[in-house]
Amino acid sequence: MISRRKKVISFIVTAAALLALFLISVNTGSLKVSPSELFRGLFIEYDSNVATIYDLRFPRILIAMLGGAAMAVSGVLLQAVMKNPLADPGIIGISSGASLVAVLITAFFPKLYFFTPLFSFIGGMLAFLLVYSLSYKGGLSPLRIILVGVAVNAMFTGLMSAFNSGTGSSYSGVASIVNANITMKTWSDFETLFIYTVIGLILSFFVTGQCNLLQLEDKTARSLGVNVTKSRMIISVIAVLLAAISTAVIGPISFLGLIVPHIARLLVGSNHRLLIPYSAVLGAFIFLLADTIGRTVAYPYEISAAVIMSVIGGPFFIILLRRSSHAGK
Amino acid sequence: MPENEVFKIKNLHFAYGKHEVIKGLDLGIKEGAVTTLIGANGCGKTTLFNLITKNLKPDSGEVLLNGEDVSRTKLKDFAKKVAIVHQYNTAPPDLTVEKLVEYGRSPYHTMGLSPDPAEDEEKVKFALQITDTEKIKDKPVSELSGGQKQRVWIAMALAQDTKILFLDEPTTYLDVRYQLDILRLVRKLNREFGITVIMVLHDINQSLYYSDEIVAMKEGKIITHGKPEEVISSELVKQVYGVDLKIQQVDGKPFVIPV
Repeated sequence: MISRRKKVISFIVTAAALLALFLISVNTGSLKVSPSELFRGLFIEYDSNVATIYDLRFPRILIAMLGGAAMAVSGVLLQAVMKNPLADPGIIGISSGASLVAVLITAFFPKLYFFTPLFSFIGGMLAFLLVYSLSYKGGLSPLRIILVGVAVNAMFTGLMSAFNSGTGSSYSGVASIVNANITMKTWSDFETLFIYTVIGLILSFFVTGQCNLLQLEDKTARSLGVNVTKSRMIISVIAVLLAAISTAVIGPISFLGLIVPHIARLLVGSNHRLLIPYSAVLGAFIFLLADTIGRTVAYPYEISAAVIMSVIGGPFFIILLRRSSHAGK
Repeated sequence: MPENEVFKIKNLHFAYGKHEVIKGLDLGIKEGAVTTLIGANGCGKTTLFNLITKNLKPDSGEVLLNGEDVSRTKLKDFAKKVAIVHQYNTAPPDLTVEKLVEYGRSPYHTMGLSPDPAEDEEKVKFALQITDTEKIKDKPVSELSGGQKQRVWIAMALAQDTKILFLDEPTTYLDVRYQLDILRLVRKLNREFGITVIMVLHDINQSLYYSDEIVAMKEGKIITHGKPEEVISSELVKQVYGVDLKIQQVDGKPFVIPV
């Protein structure tokens, strides 16, 4: 049991850490400015250093935060729907479905680039519906979803790699999606991500109660008036939206949707009314941390945040799992 | 005095694939009574339970709740009229008793928001008091004993504030002390608060002792329905369970000697 006080403290500490990390991240790289210079440069008078940072680092940092939040919440929602702690938009193929479609659009219809998020959503939904319908047999079995999901994911990932290799990696936009690269992001990328992510997050706050009830046995949830199948469908659509939009902009990120909800449950418990907003903040923090580490650890070279996520996330996750008796649930 | 029937079941048929489980069943369930479904394993009583509670859709025939076909009632509206405690339940490890019982109010909420928080609080408090779970309301459900857990699930159903309560084998997995605990609670809910109770029980003597009405099933049909002392006989036991057992009267009540 986690006391209410501890939950509130976790929330505040994480939010403060996110803010601190934001300031550190802004100042990480060849250009350095003091916080007062930054404030002056942003709000009071023009400063060429601050302007460069504003154009190059700000979008990237904000995109990392939004993408992290989106993937983390998508993970929480999918885990609620499937009653399975292994559910993750990456694992069940939603991210790869979304990126495959994004890749094809970028390669063949570059003029539709602006609509990439929309097509990614369609790709994510396609993957999800494929998993959903193939694993539906008079009801959704959590185990079947994971098994089918793994297969669908392998297929989409394979198709994507095949496309990338078969074209000699000549489509640079494609490679950046395939490799989950968040360098060279602009304010317009941020705007796209921002609009859809905010919509997705707001929608997710409306389904927290249903997520809670779905944690009971299906029959019991039904007896409380929940149309279990319909609820699952609605929550899944929101989860797909969040995962697809983040994939469209930053590419498929593994582990984030799996790790963040786990850590969040250990810190604030399993009530979705708190778990979902907290996961958003923690997801933003962790992905920004991964990106900031990736930028500094091998400077002047960069390691992709997705790679950092896998390398640091894996062991960290195992430690957490071992330390808590509740973590396996 | 003609008693009102809350549920009326007419010519009900249901099959799992080609395997017919319910074969043209008619039944009326009396308002304000404790009705218990008995029968051997595989006789269709759980299926019937699920058909009445909207967990399964009949192939033909209908289940009427106060004259209204339940298959046309919305789940949410049904949940305001009928509460169900299922046999097998799980809860997240850190969910407290009080939070779980509050879930019982969700049929009254829209978009997760309550139109009347004061009423919610009052009903939850009542449910905790009546099931004697108020002292443990801040404990996680997962850490309770089997008997306490069952009380908590009943409390959640009571928070739904319905006049009808279904219980699917509420005493399974419990030792005899907690079995009696639960059955006494069920009787209290019926006698003091006028809640109509429909349950499935395995123990024939507990069924006889705690029920006003016994419904005995065999092979998807009802073979008898009535007051315990009127329907019970060695022949019925033989017919339902396929064993020869003696019936004895203790304090004017019939008991089957189960050996």
